[in-house]
Amino acid sequence: MAATTLGETSNASLGRPPEIEAAASGLRNSTMVRLLRFALANIRRRPERFVLAVFGIALAILSVTVVRTISSSFAITGSDSVARVLDGASLWAVPAGGVHYDSDVGAIVADGPAPDVALPDGWTGARTIAGVWASDAGDVAVYGSDAVDDGTAVLGAAAAETLGVSSGDTLEFGGSELSVAVDGDDGVLAVPEDVAADVVGDEGWWTLTEPEAMAGRNDLGAVIAAETGMPSTTNPAVQPEAGGDGLIYDAVGGSGATTFEQKFSALFSGQVTSSAFGLISIIGLLLGFVIAISSFLAAVQERRREFGIMASIGLADEVLYFFLVESALVFLSAWLLGITFAGIAVWLVVPQIATPVAWLAASATVAAYLPAMAIVGALVPVHRLLQQRPVQLLGDTA
Amino acid sequence: MSTLKLGLAYGLLSTRRRAGALVLPVVTTATGAFLLVLVLGMASGISSQAAALGHADEIERAVVLIAVTVLLVGVVEVAVSTTRTVVHRTRELGVLSATGVPRPPVVAALLVEPVIASVVGALVGSVLAVGVAAVLGATGAAASGVSAGGITGGVVLAVVVSAVAALATSIVPTWRAASRPPIRSLSSGV
Repeated sequence: MAATTLGETSNASLGRPPEIEAAASGLRNSTMVRLLRFALANIRRRPERFVLAVFGIALAILSVTVVRTISSSFAITGSDSVARVLDGASLWAVPAGGVHYDSDVGAIVADGPAPDVALPDGWTGARTIAGVWASDAGDVAVYGSDAVDDGTAVLGAAAAETLGVSSGDTLEFGGSELSVAVDGDDGVLAVPEDVAADVVGDEGWWTLTEPEAMAGRNDLGAVIAAETGMPSTTNPAVQPEAGGDGLIYDAVGGSGATTFEQKFSALFSGQVTSSAFGLISIIGLLLGFVIAISSFLAAVQERRREFGIMASIGLADEVLYFFLVESALVFLSAWLLGITFAGIAVWLVVPQIATPVAWLAASATVAAYLPAMAIVGALVPVHRLLQQRPVQLLGDTA
Repeated sequence: MSTLKLGLAYGLLSTRRRAGALVLPVVTTATGAFLLVLVLGMASGISSQAAALGHADEIERAVVLIAVTVLLVGVVEVAVSTTRTVVHRTRELGVLSATGVPRPPVVAALLVEPVIASVVGALVGSVLAVGVAAVLGATGAAASGVSAGGITGGVVLAVVVSAVAALATSIVPTWRAASRPPIRSLSSGV
């Protein structure tokens, strides 16, 4: 009895419980694990080709990720700059000259005097003077509005850095001495409206807010257009008619899934992806895909007899699975390497533009392409292989 | 030295024999070289486009980085093609080793193919880029003009980068192939 107890104790302490053993055995023998082990064995057989394919695709992913990182950074800039302008308002009435993003000052500025808007009852509006102040320390965007207290200047961190001031300092602005408060990180100097008008003129826009009873409606642009006679749109790509009354951008209307800020930021990112830049990176990605196909075609050519044997015993479908797993390994490794290279490249080459968030967003976007590329990259060579009868595969000498 | 020359001559003859297999690597390298030469030749136009986006200097640097990267992607296909060649010629390499041919001339013979593919690809891409740039310049489609210095620099860069990258990426597979024991090469070759 004592011996039995000892034996049981020994088994329990040295061996694994039967449930764990069964689970481990199941894992070892599961189809996926077998496919992975088979794929790894094949990679070990031709390691240099695996390395080259991964390296080539990684370089292609690097080029696309760098472009997408820059484009995402621009998109974030566009979204932030328009959010700064709207500040929670629903409508944005811009002058006939339009508005533009000034990359030197890092903010949206107006290209004409704020339009005359006769607000219907219940609506509230805030006029913002928006222009560029050419100070001795450098150009800075100036937003003038009644929301800023008299004698005060509220600066974003970038503007404060340009002007070399910090909270509590006094800023001399157009003959006025303003007490500086630093808030946020943008490049805008916000001052009282009359002070701003003295320096940058009357260029600007209106932001409009609907009456409480109309909150939540998605036809505010149409409503205000009917009341004021000014045209309205939900599309930020539409420009005001030259010489007209101006244009009202409806930031909450429309039936699409994307918000006004997202559409506005897409205009920024589109400038990058549709430029020479975007085109070159897409060609790079196509070349990377060619490398993947070429590598798999070479593997198929060299393993015809092996696949002939498998096809002859009814394992034709498994050949596809082998290639799918190998392809997944190649593309996953290439993606990890490519986004790492891209992170280093943007940090070294475009540190002022790229941000970690933009790099992550770009890496995720590129990852979305890869499953399709991995599947097609595996299917094309295997399809060619499976078109042939096993006896042909076995008889050929490659 | 003479054995190296013989290796190079042997490699040249083998490359002529396998010209059809070089089409894809030549095309991919030519695509990369075409883009690089065009980007450097039209740098001023790209600068003005970058200026509209802001951060002109950084964008311009990024464009050149991406053009060089795309050229490297094209050249990697040359190395992939070399691995294919090595497998096809495993028995031939076994025979060479078995008859006492030393490793350096064998490696030199195997490296002739990737170097020729990359240089020919770079030259083809460069010629196409020069032609396109000339047409764009003559028709005024390139608003900021085409820089002859940029084109020349692009051609030199494309040829040098292609040849060096092809050598760097092909040396390992060729060295491994030339280092295999002859009996293994003769028995396992396809």
